[in-house]
Amino acid sequence: MPYTAEAFQNEFLALGATEVNAIITVTSSGSEGGRRTAGATEIIIVDASGSMQAEGRINAARQAAKAAVECIDDGVNFAIIAGVSTAQQLFPAPGQLAVSSPQTRAEAVRSIDRLQASGGTAMGAWLLLAGQLFAQRPGDIAHAILLTDGDNGERHGYLEQVLDSIAGRFTCDCRGVGVNWKVSELRKIATALLGTVDIVAQPSGLTAAFEQMMTKAMGKTSADVQLKVWTPVNSTVRFVKQVEPEVMDLTGKRAEDGPRAGRYPLGSWGAESRDYHVCVDVAPGAAGDEMLAARVSVVEGDTVHAQSLVRAVWTEDSALSTRINRQVAHYTGQAELADAIQAGIEARKAGDDRTATIKFGRAAQLAHASGNKATEELLATVVDIEDAATGTVRLRRKVEAADEMALDTRSTKTVRVGRAQ
Amino acid sequence: MTDCASCADERAAGAAFCEACGRALGAPCPNCGIPGGVGEDGYCQNCGMLAGRPRDHIENDRGEVAAAVTDRGRRHHRNEDAMWLAVRGADVDVVVSDGVSASFDPDVASETAANTAGALLAGSPDVSAAILGAKQAVADLVNSGDPRRTTSNPACTIVLATVRGAEINIGWVGDSRAYWLPPDGPAEQLTEDDSWATHAIAMGADPIAAMQDPKAHAITAWLGADAAPVLPRTGAFTVVGAGHLVLCSDGLWNYLPDPEAFAATVRAHLRAGGTLISAARSLVEFANAAGGADNITVALIPVSSAADVTPAHEALGETPAHEIPAETPADEIPAVEIPAPADEKVKE
Repeated sequence: MPYTAEAFQNEFLALGATEVNAIITVTSSGSEGGRRTAGATEIIIVDASGSMQAEGRINAARQAAKAAVECIDDGVNFAIIAGVSTAQQLFPAPGQLAVSSPQTRAEAVRSIDRLQASGGTAMGAWLLLAGQLFAQRPGDIAHAILLTDGDNGERHGYLEQVLDSIAGRFTCDCRGVGVNWKVSELRKIATALLGTVDIVAQPSGLTAAFEQMMTKAMGKTSADVQLKVWTPVNSTVRFVKQVEPEVMDLTGKRAEDGPRAGRYPLGSWGAESRDYHVCVDVAPGAAGDEMLAARVSVVEGDTVHAQSLVRAVWTEDSALSTRINRQVAHYTGQAELADAIQAGIEARKAGDDRTATIKFGRAAQLAHASGNKATEELLATVVDIEDAATGTVRLRRKVEAADEMALDTRSTKTVRVGRAQ
Repeated sequence: MTDCASCADERAAGAAFCEACGRALGAPCPNCGIPGGVGEDGYCQNCGMLAGRPRDHIENDRGEVAAAVTDRGRRHHRNEDAMWLAVRGADVDVVVSDGVSASFDPDVASETAANTAGALLAGSPDVSAAILGAKQAVADLVNSGDPRRTTSNPACTIVLATVRGAEINIGWVGDSRAYWLPPDGPAEQLTEDDSWATHAIAMGADPIAAMQDPKAHAITAWLGADAAPVLPRTGAFTVVGAGHLVLCSDGLWNYLPDPEAFAATVRAHLRAGGTLISAARSLVEFANAAGGADNITVALIPVSSAADVTPAHEALGETPAHEIPAETPADEIPAVEIPAPADEKVKE
C-alpha cells in the first residue's frame, strides 16, 4: 500500500477530561509507477463576461487556458467552458468530452482564440454544465479550474443550490483575476468542491497559475480518497479538519458509514502528504482506563489503505496529562491564525478598527510563533507589525485591495511543525 | 470456554487476551458487556474501551513449588512490572523487575530484564552474571524501536533468586525486594533498597523522617543505558528449617513497610488461600484494596532444609529450628561501597 497514516497526540487525559485531539498525517507515495488507478477528466472554465475586456484580461485568460491545455496528459478527457450569462461549451462539441492528444490539444487551442468577452457572470450555470460533463465519466479523477473576475450575477441562493447538487462529484480550484471579485464567493465554491482559492492580481500571472494548477492535477493518481472515522458509543466527532497544506473544515461533509462510523471526502490524491486534525468528545473513564477514541482509516471505496488509532488513557499523573503535543498545539494555532485573519478583515470592512487590530495582532503573534513566514509577510501588507511576539500591530491607513484579498485567500495556508525558522 | 485460536493455549479461557500469544479473543467486553465485542486490536467495537492488556494481570502457578502474580494495580494505565518464574524439579529461578515510570518504555525495560536474567539463570545459576546480562539487554534498548528511547532511556529495577534445595542466592539493583518469611516472627528483608531513603538512613538520617521525604522512593541504582556502572548486590544463604522466599515490587511492600506487618499479612494469605497461587493472587488483591497505587508483583517460593521433608506451606505454624545468617558470608557477597548517588530516578 502506498498510503500511511500516523497519529500524533497526547493520549493521556486528566480524570474527567473528555476531549481527545489527534493530528493524523496521511502520506501517499502515489500509485505504483505513478500511474493513475482511474481515468481522468479536466474541465477549464473561463469567465468570458464583458468585464474581462479590461486590463487585457481576456487575452491573458486565453493564453493561460492554452498553456493549461498543453499540460494535459495524453488520454485524459477534457473540455473548455466559456462562462457568460449561460454556460457555453467552447470545446469540443456541446455535451462532448475530447480525449487529449497532440491533435485535440491543437484544436482546443484554436477554439480558445474564438473566446470573446461579452455577457454576464453565472457561476452556478457554469459549474452545473461542468457537473453534467463529468457525469459522463463516473470514477474518473475529476478536476476543474474556474477563472473569474467578478461577482456572480445569478439570483441569490442559486449557486448554493448547484453546489449542493454537485458536491463530491469533482474538485475545483478557483482563481480570481483583478480585485473586483469576492473572496467569500470563490471560497464557498472551493470549500464545497474541495479545491483551492487564490488571487491572481495581474492578468500576466494567469499563465503560470494555470500551468501550476494543471500540473498538480495531472499528478493525482487516485480519484476519491476518504477518511473513515470510527468512534465508540456515547462519543461524538467534534470536528475533522484538514490542517495542512491548508485549513479546510470537513466536519459538515460527513457521510454516515455503518454504526458509529462516518466518511469524510479528501478528494483526489497523488504523491503527497496532508495533515488532519480529529477532535472527539468521549465519555470520561476511570484512572488507568484506556479507550480507543477513534479509529481513523484512509479508504478508497471498500479498500482500506492505512489505519491509525486515536487513544485516550485516563491518568491521575498530571505530568502525563498536561503534556502538550507539538503537532496538536501547532495546528490548533494555525487554524486560529486563519480565523483571526478572516475575522480581522471582516471587522476592518465593517469599520470596527478596534476588533480588527486585536484580530490582526493575534494573527501576527500566531504567524510569528509558528514560523509561518508567508502569512506574516502578507499580514505586513495590511498592518504595521510593531512587535510580532506580543501581537502589537497598527492598521494601515491605505491598503491595496489586492493585498487584502491575497491575505484573505491565503490565510488558510499552513506550515508544518518544525518548519519554523 | 475460549481457547486461544492462534496458539491453542488453554490458559486463555475467559481472558480478553491469550496470555501465551497476546492475541485478543473476541471475548465479551468487560466494560460494556456486549458479546464478542472485543476486536482484534483489543478494543471493544462498541464502547471503545481496551478490554485488557496482556500484561494487566499475569499468573504463573507452579503448584506447591512456586507461584507468582503480576498486576497493573488500580492507578497505572499499564503494568510496567515484569516477572520470570522457572521451575525444574525442585529448582526455582525467579526474577521480578519494575520499570521506572519516568523513563520511556519502562514496560519493555522490565520485560527485557526479567526475560534476559531468567534465560541466563536457566543456563547458569550465577545471579551476578544474570543481572549484568539483564543490564546490558536493557541498555541496548536505546538502539532499537522508538527513537524517544535515546532521550529517556528505558530503565528498571531487578531482584532475582535461585533456589537449589536449601541454598538460596539472591541479587538485586533498585528497590524491588526479597524477603525471607520464617514460620513466625517478622519477615527478614534480604535486600537493601538502592533508594534515597535507605541511603539517607545509612548516612545517619532519622528513618521515619527519611521515609516521609518526597524523595524517599527515588532510586539510586537501576538498569538502563544511563545507569552508573552496576555492581549487582548479591547474597547467599542456606535455609535451616522451612519458610517462604518472597520477592515483590514496591506495589506490595509500600503497603507493608513494617516487617512484622509484612510477615503477618503474607502468612494470613498463605493460610487463607490454601494454595500458593491463591495466596499470591490474594496478596495482589490486598494491595489493590489498599489503593493499588502502583503495579504489583509478588512471587512465593516455599523453601525448606533437606532435613525437613514436610512441604513448606504445610510447615507454616510449626516452629522448626531455622537459621538465617544475619549477615551473608563475606566471601559470597562482593564488598559494595555505596557511593553517594550522583543521580536519582523517581520511580513509581
